[in-house]
Amino acid sequence: MDMMFLMNSMWVMLGAVLVILMIGGFILLETGSTRMKNAGHIAGKTILTFSIGSVLFWAAGYGLIFGKGNSLIGFSDFFYSGYDIKGVSLSGAVFFLFQLAFAGISLTIAFGGFAERAKLSVYLVFAVLFSIIVYPPIAHWIWGGGWLAEHGKQDFAGSTVVHLTGAMASLAATIILKPRIGKYNKDGSANNLAGHNQVFTALSVLLLWVGWFGFNAGSTLSVDAGFFGFVAVNTNLAAAAGTVAAMIISWMISGKADVSMMLNGALAGLVAITASCAFVETWAAVVIGFIAGILVFYSIRFFEKLKIDDPIAALSVHGAAGIWGTLSTGFFATKELAVVGQPGLFYGGGFHQLGIQAMGVLVCGAFAFITSFLLLSILKAIMNGLRVTEEEEIIGLDISEHGSYGYPELVKTEHKLNA
Amino acid sequence: MSNSSYLEIKNFHFQRITGASVDPIHLNLVHDEIYKQVIELALEKLKNVNGPPPCPFTFFVTGSAGRMEQSIWSDQDHGIIFYNNCKKEQVYFLQLGKEISEGLSQAGYSYCKGGVMSSNPLWCKSITEWQGQINSWIEQSSWETIRYLLIFLDARNLLGEQTYINLLKKQIFLTLQRKRMMTLVLNNSLYYKKGINLIGNLLFETHGPYSGTLNLKETAFIPYANAVRLLAIKEGLLESPTLLRLNGLRNTAFPSIKVYETQFNKLLHYRLAYCDHTNYESGHYLSIKNLTKAQIGEVKDILKHGTTLLRTVKKLLEKGDLNGHP
Repeated sequence: MDMMFLMNSMWVMLGAVLVILMIGGFILLETGSTRMKNAGHIAGKTILTFSIGSVLFWAAGYGLIFGKGNSLIGFSDFFYSGYDIKGVSLSGAVFFLFQLAFAGISLTIAFGGFAERAKLSVYLVFAVLFSIIVYPPIAHWIWGGGWLAEHGKQDFAGSTVVHLTGAMASLAATIILKPRIGKYNKDGSANNLAGHNQVFTALSVLLLWVGWFGFNAGSTLSVDAGFFGFVAVNTNLAAAAGTVAAMIISWMISGKADVSMMLNGALAGLVAITASCAFVETWAAVVIGFIAGILVFYSIRFFEKLKIDDPIAALSVHGAAGIWGTLSTGFFATKELAVVGQPGLFYGGGFHQLGIQAMGVLVCGAFAFITSFLLLSILKAIMNGLRVTEEEEIIGLDISEHGSYGYPELVKTEHKLNA
Repeated sequence: MSNSSYLEIKNFHFQRITGASVDPIHLNLVHDEIYKQVIELALEKLKNVNGPPPCPFTFFVTGSAGRMEQSIWSDQDHGIIFYNNCKKEQVYFLQLGKEISEGLSQAGYSYCKGGVMSSNPLWCKSITEWQGQINSWIEQSSWETIRYLLIFLDARNLLGEQTYINLLKKQIFLTLQRKRMMTLVLNNSLYYKKGINLIGNLLFETHGPYSGTLNLKETAFIPYANAVRLLAIKEGLLESPTLLRLNGLRNTAFPSIKVYETQFNKLLHYRLAYCDHTNYESGHYLSIKNLTKAQIGEVKDILKHGTTLLRTVKKLLEKGDLNGHP
């Protein structure tokens, strides 16, 4: 058997494993950033929605993205059965699994905006709808040979496809669900509903950071010339620059070395470099990550002012940084590295690529937001509301949705103390 | 004026405080007057049951009352020093402390969350016991005991013998000097909340009911009060009010103390004029909505001077400890 085929398969399989492990990162991120009474629910539902997403990707998502069709949607290869795929120099099953993992990440990001108040049944139904109606069209447009691919839209590992799509669905949910009880006071001022475990949040960032090597470097889909190493270096540098930038800006502006903000800076750097990691030089990766770190700081403050309650900062980390990351190739893509599309503004490409990137952001963002908003509005009407009752929200979703606590001893002690 | 109940004192409190709400010094004198009325009434009540005080004593206020920095609303911080070291006296004065704390609470002064009240045996002792307690605090030198020492140094006599407080304060000054403990005291006095960021903007509360306002207590009053107290220890000043301490420091070598005095006076005025005095908590937060650009500049200046003062004092004391001076 062809050695290259085997090596590519091995490498991308490793990438798929790393990306699926990122689900673990999201479990820690979401539980750490939310309150103890919802911890079991949030951790458990993440595994459940990834499972739903997996089955749906197998049944329909893959075919809608990569199947033969038109420039808007694919429509073949449903219920994929493990065969090799034409034009892909690695195991078809590995390629499938790798793509499945990406769809799962996007879905997980979307659910960030549901945290601490949505009914479990809403998670189940929206997981199905997102996996068929929201994610596949965008992935097809950019990665499945759709109309944006024809325009040469650059999105190497999915700043738009995975992150912006997830963030826009999250935004729609956040708006429809409305803020959590106690987040805003009557006079409009916001309260800090602090997450219960900053150690979880920090560990989640490390887990996601490492997982991102699979996400970005794995997206080379090949070991050819060891190019994945270059992509990994860019990824690491952007994350590091994002961390440092968020720490500096929060220290300068809010007077505190804010740990949560610093962690969000790391993730913003990672999200931003996702689109551009294979198209830009290493110095540009540092700049892209650094700007993402600053952007996430202002974006979080902006959404809070708009009274949009985003418990895990998904809108800023995946949305704002996703937009910046997608646009960044329009500035920094080099002539040699831009195997898709044109070089960016700083490399003699003029505004052409920047325009394509902006169009991609606009259309994909709008599609993901409007579709999710409509779907959730319909669900709201059919399912008698998306949100648990006030009482259920106050006692916590662990007990109201699942009948058992993530932290049985601690929560019981807390109740006793409050009684 | 004589008042027959604490609630009547409370009514008096409301009337007088409103009238005094333009002058910080006058306001603090009114607080003193209310405190004295409560003490008188408490003594009267106790006299009917337990008889008159069995020995001479001092009732002191501390905290913001001791420093004469109270705003419209204030919480309780006080203690008692009595002359005879005897169990019977202790029972009597603790009883008096309880009566006063309850009376003050009824008159509109919330209880001290940290328990600095004469109803607490820690803050109600005979002079001999106080001397022992202060020695033990210095001996232990933990963060908590040093904090107690600093609280005691803000004590101001409201009723009875001033000499008791002075005696104890001198004991503290001497021991700190002998044991070169100023660095330790300094370490208990350095924390404050940043009020201005690196690019010179005010740092408002970002969350909670006071979002968008400036926490004047933690960003401004704390650095001024701490820095001035440290200088007072260094110079052996027995006064407690921050303004009197600043006045006392005029004759020392500390550079441009008059500037800080002016700034601190402005701080007292800004709080009184522009904070929301609906309740004790809200009175600490300054909303800049009603301030002109020039006034905002003044507020920034006040904050900057506060932190500069604390920084300068820190340097001075660190140098002093190294050289063997307090």
